[in-house]
Amino acid sequence: MAVIQKKICMIGDFSVGKTSLVARYVRQSFSDKYLTTVGVKIDTKSVTLPDQREAKLVLWDIAGADRLTSASMSYLRGAAGYLLVIDGTRRPTWDAALQLRQEVTKQIGEKPYILLLNKADLVEQWEINEDLISSERENGASILKTSAKLGSGVEDAFTLLTLKMLDVP
Amino acid sequence: MISIMRTIPLSIVKYIHAWWMSELILTYLHIDHNDFLMSWGGHPRHYGLLNLETHKNAIEQIPFLEGLLPAKHTEIMEFIQVGNGRTAHVHLIPFRGGTWVLLFDATAEHNRQQQLQQQLNELSILNYRQTRLLQELETVARNLQTDKQQLEEIAKNKGSLISSLSHELRTLLTSIASYSRLSEEKDHQDYVSNIKHSANHLLALIDNILDQTQLESGKVSLQANNCDPRQLLNELKAIFAPLAREKNLKFELQTTAQLPFVLVLDELRLRQILINLLNNAVKYTQCGFIRLTLGWEQGHLTFEVIDSGEGISPDALERIFLPYHRETNKQTGVGLGLAITRQLIELMNGEIRVESTLGKGTVFKGFISTASKQEQDEEEDYFPSKNITILLVEDTRSVHLLLATYLKESGYSVLSAYNGAEAVALAESEKPQIILMDMQMPVMDGYTATRTLRERHFEQPILALSASDLLEDREAAIIAGCTHYLRKPISPDILLSIIKTVLKH
Repeated sequence: MAVIQKKICMIGDFSVGKTSLVARYVRQSFSDKYLTTVGVKIDTKSVTLPDQREAKLVLWDIAGADRLTSASMSYLRGAAGYLLVIDGTRRPTWDAALQLRQEVTKQIGEKPYILLLNKADLVEQWEINEDLISSERENGASILKTSAKLGSGVEDAFTLLTLKMLDVP
Repeated sequence: MISIMRTIPLSIVKYIHAWWMSELILTYLHIDHNDFLMSWGGHPRHYGLLNLETHKNAIEQIPFLEGLLPAKHTEIMEFIQVGNGRTAHVHLIPFRGGTWVLLFDATAEHNRQQQLQQQLNELSILNYRQTRLLQELETVARNLQTDKQQLEEIAKNKGSLISSLSHELRTLLTSIASYSRLSEEKDHQDYVSNIKHSANHLLALIDNILDQTQLESGKVSLQANNCDPRQLLNELKAIFAPLAREKNLKFELQTTAQLPFVLVLDELRLRQILINLLNNAVKYTQCGFIRLTLGWEQGHLTFEVIDSGEGISPDALERIFLPYHRETNKQTGVGLGLAITRQLIELMNGEIRVESTLGKGTVFKGFISTASKQEQDEEEDYFPSKNITILLVEDTRSVHLLLATYLKESGYSVLSAYNGAEAVALAESEKPQIILMDMQMPVMDGYTATRTLRERHFEQPILALSASDLLEDREAAIIAGCTHYLRKPISPDILLSIIKTVLKH
């Protein structure tokens, strides 16, 4: 049986933790040092689905920006879903994510996505309040709080997106 | 190089020539229309692509091609970092239904750009943090400024309060002292009356300040009980008619036909509200009339106090309900009456409004939420106090004596106890119909005595008497088993009226 393979894009403003989330998910590692991504980094991760099927996730960790660049538009092609990452300690990254969501939809159409509120380990410094989160959830967004540093929510985020992409109930 | 070129179609070779610069290491992959890898060359190992097998699915072997095949038009993807850290510009060129994938190594260029971008991003984050810090500092500075202004205002009000309070207290205490001296010299009823008047005024002042403090800290709770509004009006008439007569003012009290005979509300607080409004009316009306009307509209007790006094300017109307506000220094008191009145009304889910015309008079009107008891007791004015025994428990001899006198004058039999232990013994032996229980006493306090009596199945009402108006003290008394909580000092009229109400129910 052919392995299911799906392309996932990591999208969000710079320094929100996209690369760290991938590192945590794929290699169970974390570094406090910020290393900006230029272009895109590609990683893969094999997972076993609840029905025991094997799936390979191809993760495109796209350089962060508050708008889609022409380069990142090309990176999106063929994506089956995406993780929209926000740095909870910087409110502008929330606004950027909502803007990016619109642009991504315009580029590749409606695709499954999850809004990740990253840096949950720094929640006392968050500039995003629960009202904002609730209101976006009411609009139908799936939102998870993650910490690439501690690993919390990371596995769940990728698993949830995978299930959404494969339309697993 | 030439050997590579032999396997590549001419159009692709031309394409490579157009892009290839000396430092770019080329890797190429040819994938057919079925996504099969047909040929490859160059250095796929640079990108972690090991053990490539031709005539097998390319996407499974080269995962980053997922979703990209077949290419519909020539596409360049810059700076793709795959596998072991090397970066390439990836070119996808459609060819006979399949795709040629060219990877030009861009690791060096990527590293240069990465350093530049890293600096820019770090600077941007630093700027953001700095801006946020400045904003926070500005907010802190603004808050400090506001706090400072508030503290200055409080200090100013405090100074003004202490000044006016000192003046009031000094005037009244001087009066009490002078009349006391005079009454020692001559037995003159007027002097005693003046002492009483000054003492009452002093008490009212202190009560007002305590009330305001309690209201500000949210510690005032309402005690709803049955209230006869007509009886209340009679009591108000007894207080204010003589004052109005002294100033030749017409004093009228009215009720509307709909006003129920019994209301369920905190009678003491309603009395306080109406006394405050009438006090002001008498104080600021030099000629003409004062009229109080109580009515009933849509389940609310309505009130209206009209006077033909000097009136209030539109400017001052905005400030009259502020605590410690006195429009002029000529005003007596500390400026709490109307503030307390409004807060009490709001606590009773009501509302108060004021309309005034300078030189013509003022109208205070509003409503209070309450319930009515539409049964009129035909014999309510007749209440036999004979054969009713009240156990009075109070350790302060002077207060004890005073209360006992009032109770006896009203026809009650009074049993006296001076501490909780005596009270328990007397209650068990004499079975009084009601107990007035001081809460703070030596030997055994009122809480313990009440609890003991309730444990021993004493079922008659126990009215707590306490100087404290703290919510926790009130609750403690009720938990101990008291049926009512009365705050000392309490006027004899009110005490008797409450006893009457309690005994009736």
